[in-house]
Amino acid sequence: MVIEIVFNILIGLVILFYLVQALQLPSSDNPADVLGASGFPITISILGLIVLLMITFRAFKSKHKVEIPMLHLNTIDGRMLVINVLLLAAYIALLDVIGFILSTLIYLVACPLSMGFRKSLLLIVFSVITTTVLVVVFGIVFYVPLPRGVNVFRELSYMVY
Amino acid sequence: MDIIIQSLVAVVNPISFLLIVIGVLFGMVCGALPGLSTSMAIILCLPFTYSMDPITGIVLMVAVYVGGASGGSISSILLKTPGTPEAVATTFDGYPMAQQGKAGEALGLAVTSSSFGTIFSAIIMLLAAPLLAKAALTFQSAEYFGLGLVGLSCISSIGAKNQLKAFLSVLIGLMIGTIGIDSINGTERFAFEQPSLLNGINYITVMIGAFAIAEVYNNIEEYRHRDTSLRSTEKVKIKLLKFTEMAKMWTSFIRGSFVGTIIGIIPAAGGSIASLIAYGWESNNKNATPKFGEGNPRGIIAPECAHNAAVGGSMVPTLTLGIPGSPVAAVIMGAFMIIGLTPGPLLLKEQPIMLNAIFLALILAALLLFIGGRFVTSQFGHILKLPYPLLGSLIVTLGVVGAYSLKNSFYDVMIMFAFGIIGYFFDKFKYSNAALILGLILGEIIENSLRKQIIIGDGSAMGLLTRPVSATILVLAALAFLWPVISKKFEKGVQ
Repeated sequence: MVIEIVFNILIGLVILFYLVQALQLPSSDNPADVLGASGFPITISILGLIVLLMITFRAFKSKHKVEIPMLHLNTIDGRMLVINVLLLAAYIALLDVIGFILSTLIYLVACPLSMGFRKSLLLIVFSVITTTVLVVVFGIVFYVPLPRGVNVFRELSYMVY
Repeated sequence: MDIIIQSLVAVVNPISFLLIVIGVLFGMVCGALPGLSTSMAIILCLPFTYSMDPITGIVLMVAVYVGGASGGSISSILLKTPGTPEAVATTFDGYPMAQQGKAGEALGLAVTSSSFGTIFSAIIMLLAAPLLAKAALTFQSAEYFGLGLVGLSCISSIGAKNQLKAFLSVLIGLMIGTIGIDSINGTERFAFEQPSLLNGINYITVMIGAFAIAEVYNNIEEYRHRDTSLRSTEKVKIKLLKFTEMAKMWTSFIRGSFVGTIIGIIPAAGGSIASLIAYGWESNNKNATPKFGEGNPRGIIAPECAHNAAVGGSMVPTLTLGIPGSPVAAVIMGAFMIIGLTPGPLLLKEQPIMLNAIFLALILAALLLFIGGRFVTSQFGHILKLPYPLLGSLIVTLGVVGAYSLKNSFYDVMIMFAFGIIGYFFDKFKYSNAALILGLILGEIIENSLRKQIIIGDGSAMGLLTRPVSATILVLAALAFLWPVISKKFEKGVQ
């Protein structure tokens, strides 16, 4: 229950911040535009706060316990999940530096490993084939833009896609 | 009749037939892959049409359009990652069916419904295109506002487990939808002087995060304890509906196709809104088993019929009035101009064979969806045989490519990442990711139409009620919102 109330408080703070920002929006120059740029945001945020209060009130009364493995780092599931979140963050950060091919090759090995997958050969084959297929289908056949990285990685990427 | 026979000759010949097969397959592959879109598939086909005669060229593009609209459901069902925006509603029941080991059945339902929806709309178009196009032009802001509300009404079903949380999720979606430049008077809203926020937050990015990435996180924490990989020694084989099975659910086919055709005709409404409205309408049946959102076949039939029927529908204003009925129809309209044809009332008079050939091509492409569907889904089905650590990482990588390729921007990838985490917590606390996306998709049409109507009414919103069509749609929207309460009271009364 406590964790749900904390989550609701976070949502409430975000909506309150949104409401404060909406109240500061300038009114419209057109007198017929009664709502203006702020009317709709103000209405939905006030409605949102009322609904959130009702939900929180119910959560207080409820005895239902919510399990969030991501917050239990002492369990294997929790750790695995947090590692995966961090891996994705690292993957996204790396994309912009070393480009799509290298970062995807690394991610496709690291991510299954973090989930306990231990068949190394299969993992390497999967990583290489998947990256190749993605680069060929998206980058070469359909001209979909893929991240190129910086400096030498960028130059090298132009040789492939 | 002569014109129809001449149109048949133009369409039913070996070259056109081959091009329709290629177009449908190509469209399905592009639709199924997040990061590629139907519009992109048509644009890629465009150079090949330069050397073709106009009818053959347009037939190819129509086939790609039909294939693309149908292909989005494949990744929706198998990976919970909608390949196209139109396939969002298909995930609500399609993915639960796949989780129950009924992936082949769900894919069969999707292909059959897509095909039915396309044929339904093409026949309606053949019979009444000019008339419907004129009627669609009477739609103004008031009616669009009503349509937006009807679309929102499906929260009463997708949030059946917790209506209040679903309602708050919709409101949060609406709030996210207001980020960026206000399209009525150009005010910068909630962008904090960040150039990347000025264009707003793309709902496809949010969708990939909240649906696909959040689902991967959910599976990561559970897969060691239960089999979430849908692994099977058998090939995922599309299971097409028998005629008797179709007959049992004929109401869902007709309802979905009807909604799709009508919404498709209305300029700029499009297949995503059509599929959401059709799903909302369908899921008003609270006594359905299995429940909507838990793998009800009708939850796939209605949206799939609707968004494919919207393909035919969107061609009506495009061809007869020169007003594109959807973003993809706008690309096709551009292709018309490149070929040297100007869509509009004159096209109808000067090129009646062309118009009928297009609708006949729609029918043929819809029939060939079965062949394309079998091939493409069986290839995609191989993915499900992967152990979950590999499948999960593949889904994330596809999501990253899909988000990045939208605007060639890391900002979208970061938004996807953020909504992956938000979606995970929403799932845990029983908020509704589907409702959040619904609010985000429909927010713009609701706010802008309401404000435009008030401006037209010189500060008054009475136009919403005094316009007969708008008033009718608003009453329908109110009924759809209140239906769960009304039906409960009605059931109590009967008992």
